[in-house]
Amino acid sequence: MPASSSPRPVAYLDHGATSWPKPEQVVHAVTRALTDLGGNPGRGAYAMALAASRAIFESRRTCAELLGVPDSSDLIFQPSCTAGCNLMLKGTLKPGDRVVVGSMEHNAVARPLEHLARTGIEVVVVQGDRTGLVDPDDVEREVRAAPTRAVVCQHASNLTGTIQLIGDLADIAHEHGALMLVDGAQGAGHVDVDIGVLGVDAYATSGHKGMLGPQGVGLLYLSPDLDVRTQVEGGTGGGGSESPDMPIERPDRYEAGTANTPGIVGLGAGAAFLIAEGARQHRRETELVYQLIEGISQIEGFRVLGPPAGAPRVPIVSAVHERLEADRIAFALDRTYGIAARAGLHCAPWAHRTIGTVDCGAVRLGVGWGNTSEHIGLALRALREIVTS
Amino acid sequence: MSGRPLRTFAVLGFATTHTALAAEQLLRDLGVPVTPIPAPASIGNGLCGIALRLEPGDVERADTLLERAELRVAARGDIEDV
Ligand SMILES: Cc1ncc(COP(=O)(O)O)c(C=O)c1O
Repeated sequence: MPASSSPRPVAYLDHGATSWPKPEQVVHAVTRALTDLGGNPGRGAYAMALAASRAIFESRRTCAELLGVPDSSDLIFQPSCTAGCNLMLKGTLKPGDRVVVGSMEHNAVARPLEHLARTGIEVVVVQGDRTGLVDPDDVEREVRAAPTRAVVCQHASNLTGTIQLIGDLADIAHEHGALMLVDGAQGAGHVDVDIGVLGVDAYATSGHKGMLGPQGVGLLYLSPDLDVRTQVEGGTGGGGSESPDMPIERPDRYEAGTANTPGIVGLGAGAAFLIAEGARQHRRETELVYQLIEGISQIEGFRVLGPPAGAPRVPIVSAVHERLEADRIAFALDRTYGIAARAGLHCAPWAHRTIGTVDCGAVRLGVGWGNTSEHIGLALRALREIVTS
Repeated sequence: MSGRPLRTFAVLGFATTHTALAAEQLLRDLGVPVTPIPAPASIGNGLCGIALRLEPGDVERADTLLERAELRVAARGDIEDV
């Protein structure tokens, strides 16, 4: 049994869902937002509202620096990556458009596209291979086949950890006059993201996963020339209030409603932490993932999904066992060993279908900040015991 | 009431709080003193809530610096000291 009645796990291995714990700087920033930055940002010019506005301004700049966004006003705060994906897709696509999308997408992209397909948008799905990789040649074949408005692809898979070849896909999209729209929920914070270099037209990401911020905040980059229709209209503060239309200037155009100051400020602290520590953190994650894949592969009956050990991936390792269901494994990890991991379809039925695990699901171990080699050792020992008991 | 004559300041207005704060930071960093104030209705509408107040004598230099940084001034006017 876990050592105490606290719900805190002995080893937290669900970073694919959300990161925990957060760096101290993030906790402090959120606390400070609640204690000292209580005014409504962008809505007043008295000292405390101004301080909140400034903190959001700084956070945006820091996030832009981390992600290689040249002009930080092109980086929009969103309530989640899901909201960002919805805006990026619904704000750019219209009936009659054709979209080419990889088959590894999370429901944050799959469901909006299924919805758009019912409104007259043609959605062409390109199958990934058994490791979860979407082959750019397959995408090019589809993009060539008919006029295409956009190529949509995740940066990395939340099931297999596979890193997609976004730069190549962006080149293909642009060669054929299409946009490149990316769900980067599992990319940002775990791999170096330089949006300028990737050359994408839009990139949505979560604030609370690899970016180490709190839940309830996400980011959406929109390239300066991309005209995206607003999906939420409302107050943006300021003296333009009498206008019936949303302002055309970014970021206000896409940020109606009071901002999530604690979330945004916490995210900025996470981004600052990654600017300083990211390279070291990525190295450590790579080592731990290698240890995990090697270890699981040696336990009888387990098959690790995704790229082989040593091949590039974000720090997510999913596996299936030939006899034991994934949910039973995850339950035993939690109940008996105090290890937090997630079983099931991970909101990604498309991806499970692609790699042939939609009927059984998988148990997923997501590695991230705060994990140690001991955590991996505990998880491996627990898995060994679970399958032999 | 003191008999001190009211001073006139220049005011620059911006479309977004983001631009206003970017302008504030830039001008301060480059030695142009500015004070954020609630955007006065008199300088126009369609502006964000924060405007920058500065000495009339600094406006020309501020304009040059802002233009170079591609920070657009959306409205301008004067305000009397309060
Ligand atoms: C690949 C991918 N896309 C999108 C999302 C959605 O992120 P959020 O829950 O922060 O909206 C997730 C989260 O699990 C994800 O893994």
